[in-house]
Amino acid sequence: MKLSTKVALVTGGSRGIGRAVCLTLAAQGAYVAVNYRAGRDQAEEVVAEIVAAGGKAIAVAGDVSDPDHAAAMVEQTVAELGGMHILVNNAGIAKDVLIFNMEPDDWRSVMETNFGGVFNCTKAALNHFMSQREGVVVNVSSVMGERGWVGQSNYAASKGAINAFTRTAAVELARFGIRVNAVLPGFAPTDLVSGLVEKGGKGIKKQLPMRDFARLEDVAATVAFLAGPDSRYMTGSALTVDGGGSAQLGIGRPD
Amino acid sequence: MTNEELYLAVRPAVAEALGLDEDEVTPDATLLDELGAESIDLLDILFRLERSTGVKIQAADLSEHVQGGIPDEEFGDEEKDVITPVGMAQLKKVMPQIAGMGLDGKLQPENVMSYFTVQNLTDLVAARAAAVSA
Repeated sequence: MKLSTKVALVTGGSRGIGRAVCLTLAAQGAYVAVNYRAGRDQAEEVVAEIVAAGGKAIAVAGDVSDPDHAAAMVEQTVAELGGMHILVNNAGIAKDVLIFNMEPDDWRSVMETNFGGVFNCTKAALNHFMSQREGVVVNVSSVMGERGWVGQSNYAASKGAINAFTRTAAVELARFGIRVNAVLPGFAPTDLVSGLVEKGGKGIKKQLPMRDFARLEDVAATVAFLAGPDSRYMTGSALTVDGGGSAQLGIGRPD
Repeated sequence: MTNEELYLAVRPAVAEALGLDEDEVTPDATLLDELGAESIDLLDILFRLERSTGVKIQAADLSEHVQGGIPDEEFGDEEKDVITPVGMAQLKKVMPQIAGMGLDGKLQPENVMSYFTVQNLTDLVAARAAAVSA
């Protein structure tokens, strides 16, 4: 299996895309540390599912926006799973507000978890990755980091920051044997966008070239590809997984 | 490990980190000025050395080793922007090659590391290795 002997830490691994990433990496042979902030039971379920399938996993508590938590998460992963080779920065939140009504805390909290989490966990993993001259970081960003929607300025800015950080970290860390890439999902059925999918699901789907949302496994498979040996010459890349949504001109052809 | 054995580990680490041939890396060569090392190169060298010798050196250890634990205000004369006589005495211990360069009363703190050589780095690794095994 492509990821056997590898250990991965997946932030926000208890649900949504993170959960799918945990299961996919485990299915490819990796030992997985399933990070959660509040959803302990859900994280334990992911762990149980991996263990039932013959894999190895642990649940790791911690808030990625806190640098001390990030350091402790990496430490626990290395101590309990015998090392660490892959970091998937997936934890994220959204607080959609019009700029006109947005309070500073609305963008700070989103920035601190989404971009701050990427920064804190990457930095926490570096000493270990640099010592072993091996490491892979996969950042789960969003097409919103490159495009915009009304009410998502804080979220889009945090994802744009992740994309810029991905490129810079890739350049800085390549010589240490560390690769850094990002996945930019479009619409996938997660709690984060569930309201949106329920409200406007049909209307959105109609406008997507592939006329469907991503399955969580579609995003997870791309994360696994970037985490594994088949992408060994890729670093600083951002792979879009959005059914063609961001490739098309937003204004449709006149009927 | 003897100082000579450590030098045999330091030389390839420096050469590989800087993309140089090993014979370009001589004991007397200064890392920053002559070999062109930047901060990221120093970090790379230290991590390579950790792998090959097992001796862990943090980037901060480098300046601590050079300064020998002397407080900043005693090491450098802030007003004149030069290293104090106390500081110079310490520097001559860890970087003996600077004696006789006529730097007394002239060396600015920001330029200290530009005199740091491959041999000085080897001595640092030796000192750390001894500290760990002691």
